[in-house]
Amino acid sequence: MRQKRTLPRRGAREDVILFTVGGFRFAIAAAAVTEIRSMEGLTRFFGGTGHKAMAKTVYTLERNGVTHFVVSGAQHFHLPPSKPTRVLVLRHAAAAVLVDSTDRMVDIAVLHALPLGFRGDERNWYRGLAILNGDAVPVVNPTAFLSKGEVAVLRATMLRMQGVAV
Amino acid sequence: MMTDDTNTFVLFPLGKKRFALPAEKVTELAKPDRLQTFPQRTPLMTGVLVRRGRIVPVCDVAQALIGRDAPAGKFYLIANRQFESRREWTAIPVTGECELTNVQPQQPQSKLPEYVLGVLSLENEIVEVLNLEKLIAAEASA
Repeated sequence: MRQKRTLPRRGAREDVILFTVGGFRFAIAAAAVTEIRSMEGLTRFFGGTGHKAMAKTVYTLERNGVTHFVVSGAQHFHLPPSKPTRVLVLRHAAAAVLVDSTDRMVDIAVLHALPLGFRGDERNWYRGLAILNGDAVPVVNPTAFLSKGEVAVLRATMLRMQGVAV
Repeated sequence: MMTDDTNTFVLFPLGKKRFALPAEKVTELAKPDRLQTFPQRTPLMTGVLVRRGRIVPVCDVAQALIGRDAPAGKFYLIANRQFESRREWTAIPVTGECELTNVQPQQPQSKLPEYVLGVLSLENEIVEVLNLEKLIAAEASA
Protein backbone atom coordinates (compact mmCIF):
# COMPACT_ATOMS: atom_id res chain seq x y z
CA MET A 1 0.00 0.00 0.00
CA ARG A 2 1.35 3.41 -0.88
CA GLN A 3 1.92 5.64 2.02
CA LYS A 4 -0.15 8.79 2.15
CA ARG A 5 2.16 11.72 2.72
CA THR A 6 1.67 15.26 3.77
CA LEU A 7 3.47 17.07 1.03
CA PRO A 8 4.98 20.47 1.56
CA ARG A 9 2.37 22.96 0.55
CA ARG A 10 4.06 25.99 -0.83
CA GLY A 11 2.21 29.23 -0.98
CA ALA A 12 -0.62 28.04 1.27
CA ARG A 13 -0.02 30.13 4.35
CA GLU A 14 -1.58 29.05 7.59
CA ASP A 15 -1.96 30.58 11.03
CA VAL A 16 -0.89 28.27 13.84
CA ILE A 17 -0.96 28.61 17.61
CA LEU A 18 2.23 27.62 19.42
CA PHE A 19 1.91 25.73 22.68
CA THR A 20 4.12 23.68 24.97
CA VAL A 21 3.73 20.33 26.65
CA GLY A 22 6.45 18.76 28.76
CA GLY A 23 9.05 21.24 27.55
CA PHE A 24 8.35 20.56 23.88
CA ARG A 25 6.93 23.14 21.53
CA PHE A 26 4.11 22.26 19.17
CA ALA A 27 1.88 24.10 16.73
CA ILE A 28 -1.78 23.61 15.94
CA ALA A 29 -3.80 25.21 13.16
CA ALA A 30 -5.55 28.25 14.59
CA ALA A 31 -8.63 27.20 12.61
CA ALA A 32 -8.76 23.97 14.61
CA VAL A 33 -9.07 25.75 17.95
CA THR A 34 -12.26 27.41 19.05
CA GLU A 35 -11.15 28.61 22.48
CA ILE A 36 -8.10 28.78 24.72
CA ARG A 37 -9.14 28.82 28.36
CA SER A 38 -7.90 28.28 31.87
CA MET A 39 -8.52 25.05 33.73
CA GLU A 40 -11.45 26.45 35.64
CA GLY A 41 -14.74 24.63 35.23
CA LEU A 42 -13.27 21.25 34.36
CA THR A 43 -14.81 18.13 35.86
CA ARG A 44 -12.55 15.26 36.78
CA PHE A 45 -13.13 12.21 34.59
CA PHE A 46 -11.97 8.73 35.46
CA GLY A 47 -13.19 5.98 33.21
CA GLY A 48 -10.47 3.50 34.10
CA THR A 49 -7.22 2.65 32.40
CA GLY A 50 -8.38 -0.28 30.27
CA HIS A 51 -8.58 1.76 27.08
CA LYS A 52 -5.93 4.27 26.01
CA ALA A 53 -8.62 6.91 25.46
CA MET A 54 -9.69 6.46 29.08
CA ALA A 55 -6.16 6.73 30.37
CA LYS A 56 -5.43 10.02 28.63
CA THR A 57 -8.84 11.66 29.15
CA VAL A 58 -8.61 13.37 32.52
CA TYR A 59 -11.43 15.91 32.58
CA THR A 60 -14.67 16.77 30.86
CA LEU A 61 -15.76 20.28 29.98
CA GLU A 62 -19.33 21.37 29.45
CA ARG A 63 -19.46 24.19 26.95
CA ASN A 64 -22.57 25.51 25.21
CA GLY A 65 -24.41 22.29 26.03
CA VAL A 66 -21.67 20.11 24.50
CA THR A 67 -19.40 17.79 26.46
CA HIS A 68 -15.74 17.95 25.53
CA PHE A 69 -13.37 15.22 26.65
CA VAL A 70 -10.20 16.87 27.88
CA VAL A 71 -7.12 14.90 26.88
CA SER A 72 -3.81 15.26 28.70
CA GLY A 73 -1.33 16.46 26.10
CA ALA A 74 1.48 14.87 28.08
CA GLN A 75 -0.16 11.46 28.09
CA HIS A 76 -1.16 11.73 24.45
CA PHE A 77 2.48 12.29 23.47
CA HIS A 78 3.77 9.73 26.00
CA LEU A 79 5.59 12.40 27.98
CA PRO A 80 6.15 12.49 31.74
CA PRO A 81 3.41 14.26 33.70
CA SER A 82 3.60 18.00 33.18
CA LYS A 83 1.95 21.05 34.71
CA PRO A 84 -0.92 22.04 32.47
CA THR A 85 -2.39 25.50 32.82
CA ARG A 86 -4.42 25.94 29.65
CA VAL A 87 -7.05 24.08 27.68
CA LEU A 88 -7.28 24.14 23.90
CA VAL A 89 -10.89 23.50 22.97
CA LEU A 90 -10.94 22.01 19.49
CA ARG A 91 -13.38 23.18 16.87
CA HIS A 92 -15.93 20.68 15.52
CA ALA A 93 -14.53 18.00 17.82
CA ALA A 94 -15.40 16.34 21.07
CA ALA A 95 -11.83 16.75 22.27
CA ALA A 96 -10.03 19.46 24.17
CA VAL A 97 -6.35 19.33 25.08
CA LEU A 98 -4.52 20.18 28.29
CA VAL A 99 -1.29 22.02 27.54
CA ASP A 100 1.33 23.59 29.76
CA SER A 101 1.23 26.99 28.09
CA THR A 102 0.23 28.74 24.94
CA ASP A 103 2.47 31.14 23.13
CA ARG A 104 1.71 33.36 20.19
CA MET A 105 0.07 32.82 16.86
CA VAL A 106 2.40 32.66 13.88
CA ASP A 107 2.01 32.33 10.17
CA ILE A 108 3.67 29.37 8.44
CA ALA A 109 4.31 29.21 4.72
CA VAL A 110 5.45 25.61 4.32
CA LEU A 111 4.36 22.46 6.06
CA HIS A 112 7.13 19.89 5.61
CA ALA A 113 6.13 16.24 5.46
CA LEU A 114 7.24 14.23 8.44
CA PRO A 115 10.29 12.29 7.23
CA LEU A 116 9.42 8.74 6.22
CA GLY A 117 11.95 7.40 8.71
CA PHE A 118 9.44 8.15 11.42
CA ARG A 119 7.15 5.13 11.46
CA GLY A 120 5.43 5.22 14.86
CA ASP A 121 2.39 6.93 16.37
CA GLU A 122 3.89 10.26 15.36
CA ARG A 123 2.67 9.68 11.80
CA ASN A 124 -0.84 10.11 13.17
CA TRP A 125 0.03 12.75 15.77
CA TYR A 126 1.50 15.25 13.33
CA ARG A 127 0.44 16.76 10.04
CA GLY A 128 4.04 17.65 9.42
CA LEU A 129 6.83 19.93 10.60
CA ALA A 130 7.10 23.68 10.36
CA ILE A 131 10.42 25.50 10.51
CA LEU A 132 10.23 28.55 12.77
CA ASN A 133 13.43 30.56 13.14
CA GLY A 134 15.44 27.46 12.30
CA ASP A 135 13.56 25.24 14.73
CA ALA A 136 11.51 22.26 13.59
CA VAL A 137 8.12 22.41 15.26
CA PRO A 138 5.63 19.57 14.88
CA VAL A 139 2.24 20.71 13.66
CA VAL A 140 -0.27 18.49 15.42
CA ASN A 141 -3.14 16.68 13.79
CA PRO A 142 -6.17 17.79 15.82
CA THR A 143 -8.16 14.67 14.93
CA ALA A 144 -5.50 12.45 16.49
CA PHE A 145 -6.25 13.44 20.08
CA LEU A 146 -9.40 11.35 20.09
CA SER A 147 -10.64 9.20 17.23
CA LYS A 148 -14.35 8.80 16.54
CA GLY A 149 -14.18 5.32 18.05
CA GLU A 150 -12.51 6.64 21.17
CA VAL A 151 -15.13 9.35 21.55
CA ALA A 152 -17.85 6.69 21.26
CA VAL A 153 -16.17 4.65 24.01
CA LEU A 154 -15.85 7.73 26.22
CA ARG A 155 -19.48 8.75 25.68
CA ALA A 156 -20.65 5.25 26.54
CA THR A 157 -18.51 5.26 29.66
CA MET A 158 -19.81 8.65 30.70
CA LEU A 159 -23.41 7.53 30.25
CA ARG A 160 -22.71 4.38 32.25
CA MET A 161 -21.14 6.46 35.04
CA GLN A 162 -24.10 8.87 35.05
CA GLY A 163 -26.42 5.87 35.29
CA VAL A 164 -24.53 4.56 38.27
CA ALA A 165 -24.64 8.00 39.88
CA VAL A 166 -28.43 8.12 39.51
CA MET B 1 43.61 4.60 -9.72
CA MET B 2 40.54 2.73 -10.93
CA THR B 3 38.10 1.81 -8.23
CA ASP B 4 35.17 -0.52 -8.26
CA ASP B 5 32.26 1.38 -6.72
CA THR B 6 30.68 -1.79 -5.38
CA ASN B 7 33.78 -2.34 -3.25
CA THR B 8 34.00 1.19 -1.94
CA PHE B 9 32.93 1.72 1.64
CA VAL B 10 32.74 4.53 4.15
CA LEU B 11 34.22 3.50 7.49
CA PHE B 12 32.81 5.30 10.49
CA PRO B 13 33.61 5.05 14.20
CA LEU B 14 31.09 4.41 16.96
CA GLY B 15 33.05 4.50 20.17
CA LYS B 16 35.97 2.08 19.93
CA LYS B 17 34.57 0.13 16.98
CA ARG B 18 34.30 1.00 13.34
CA PHE B 19 31.53 -0.02 10.97
CA ALA B 20 31.06 0.48 7.25
CA LEU B 21 28.36 1.47 4.81
CA PRO B 22 28.53 0.99 1.05
CA ALA B 23 29.79 4.30 -0.33
CA GLU B 24 26.85 4.63 -2.72
CA LYS B 25 24.57 4.91 0.31
CA VAL B 26 26.47 7.86 1.78
CA THR B 27 25.87 11.43 0.73
CA GLU B 28 28.21 13.42 2.97
CA LEU B 29 29.83 13.77 6.35
CA ALA B 30 28.30 16.74 8.09
CA LYS B 31 29.71 18.86 10.86
CA PRO B 32 28.02 18.84 14.26
CA ASP B 33 24.57 20.30 14.09
CA ARG B 34 21.82 20.97 16.57
CA LEU B 35 19.67 17.92 17.13
CA GLN B 36 16.06 18.95 17.42
CA THR B 37 13.80 16.55 19.26
CA PHE B 38 10.06 16.14 19.56
CA PRO B 39 7.89 13.35 20.93
CA GLN B 40 7.89 10.31 18.64
CA ARG B 41 7.86 6.53 18.97
CA THR B 42 10.17 5.15 16.30
CA PRO B 43 13.06 3.04 17.62
CA LEU B 44 16.53 4.55 16.96
CA MET B 45 15.11 7.84 15.67
CA THR B 46 16.19 10.68 17.93
CA GLY B 47 15.00 13.82 16.15
CA VAL B 48 15.82 15.92 13.12
CA LEU B 49 18.43 18.31 11.85
CA VAL B 50 17.47 21.39 9.88
CA ARG B 51 20.12 21.74 7.20
CA ARG B 52 19.79 24.56 4.71
CA GLY B 53 16.01 24.54 5.17
CA ARG B 54 15.84 20.78 4.66
CA ILE B 55 14.64 18.46 7.43
CA VAL B 56 16.89 15.45 7.94
CA PRO B 57 15.83 12.72 10.37
CA VAL B 58 18.48 11.46 12.77
CA CYS B 59 18.87 7.74 13.35
CA ASP B 60 21.19 6.77 16.19
CA VAL B 61 22.32 3.29 15.14
CA ALA B 62 24.91 3.26 17.94
CA GLN B 63 22.11 2.36 20.35
CA ALA B 64 21.63 -0.91 18.44
CA LEU B 65 25.26 -1.61 17.62
CA ILE B 66 27.13 -0.78 20.81
CA GLY B 67 24.40 -0.09 23.35
CA ARG B 68 23.09 2.88 25.22
CA ASP B 69 26.49 3.81 26.65
CA ALA B 70 27.71 4.88 23.24
CA PRO B 71 29.60 8.17 23.33
CA ALA B 72 27.89 11.19 21.88
CA GLY B 73 28.24 11.68 18.15
CA LYS B 74 30.66 14.34 16.91
CA PHE B 75 29.61 14.36 13.28
CA TYR B 76 26.72 13.17 11.19
CA LEU B 77 27.09 10.74 8.34
CA ILE B 78 24.31 11.51 5.89
CA ALA B 79 23.06 8.33 4.28
CA ASN B 80 20.34 7.66 1.75
CA ARG B 81 17.45 5.44 2.74
CA GLN B 82 14.98 3.99 0.27
CA PHE B 83 11.26 4.01 1.03
CA GLU B 84 9.52 2.26 -1.87
CA SER B 85 10.10 4.70 -4.71
CA ARG B 86 11.28 7.55 -2.50
CA ARG B 87 14.75 8.26 -1.18
CA GLU B 88 15.33 10.14 2.03
CA TRP B 89 18.43 11.44 3.73
CA THR B 90 19.10 10.11 7.20
CA ALA B 91 21.75 11.51 9.54
CA ILE B 92 23.69 8.95 11.56
CA PRO B 93 25.66 10.30 14.53
CA VAL B 94 29.26 9.06 14.41
CA THR B 95 31.95 9.61 16.99
CA GLY B 96 34.86 10.65 14.81
CA GLU B 97 36.29 11.10 11.33
CA CYS B 98 35.18 8.78 8.55
CA GLU B 99 37.36 7.13 5.96
CA LEU B 100 36.78 5.92 2.43
CA THR B 101 38.21 2.53 1.58
CA ASN B 102 38.20 0.28 -1.44
CA VAL B 103 38.41 -3.35 -0.46
CA GLN B 104 36.77 -6.62 -1.42
CA PRO B 105 34.20 -7.55 1.23
CA GLN B 106 34.18 -11.08 2.58
CA GLN B 107 31.41 -13.28 3.78
CA PRO B 108 31.54 -13.53 7.56
CA GLN B 109 33.08 -16.74 8.93
CA SER B 110 30.80 -16.88 11.93
CA LYS B 111 27.08 -16.26 12.25
CA LEU B 112 26.44 -12.55 12.34
CA PRO B 113 23.19 -10.60 12.50
CA GLU B 114 21.20 -10.40 9.29
CA TYR B 115 21.98 -6.70 8.97
CA VAL B 116 25.67 -7.44 8.38
CA LEU B 117 26.18 -7.54 4.61
CA GLY B 118 29.76 -8.74 4.89
CA VAL B 119 33.02 -7.96 6.60
CA LEU B 120 36.05 -5.96 5.56
CA SER B 121 39.37 -7.38 6.59
CA LEU B 122 41.61 -4.39 7.20
CA GLU B 123 45.12 -4.22 8.59
CA ASN B 124 44.30 -4.52 12.27
CA GLU B 125 40.59 -4.91 12.38
CA ILE B 126 37.55 -6.60 10.98
CA VAL B 127 34.83 -4.14 10.08
CA GLU B 128 31.20 -5.11 9.61
CA VAL B 129 29.42 -3.69 6.56
CA LEU B 130 25.89 -2.71 7.51
CA ASN B 131 22.62 -2.94 5.70
CA LEU B 132 21.00 0.11 7.24
CA GLU B 133 17.44 -0.90 6.33
CA LYS B 134 17.79 -4.32 7.91
CA LEU B 135 19.45 -2.89 11.01
CA ILE B 136 16.62 -0.41 11.56
CA ALA B 137 13.97 -3.01 10.79
CA ALA B 138 15.56 -5.45 13.25
CA GLU B 139 15.52 -2.83 15.97
CA ALA B 140 11.91 -1.90 15.20
CA SER B 141 10.78 -5.50 15.57
CA ALA B 142 12.90 -6.16 18.69
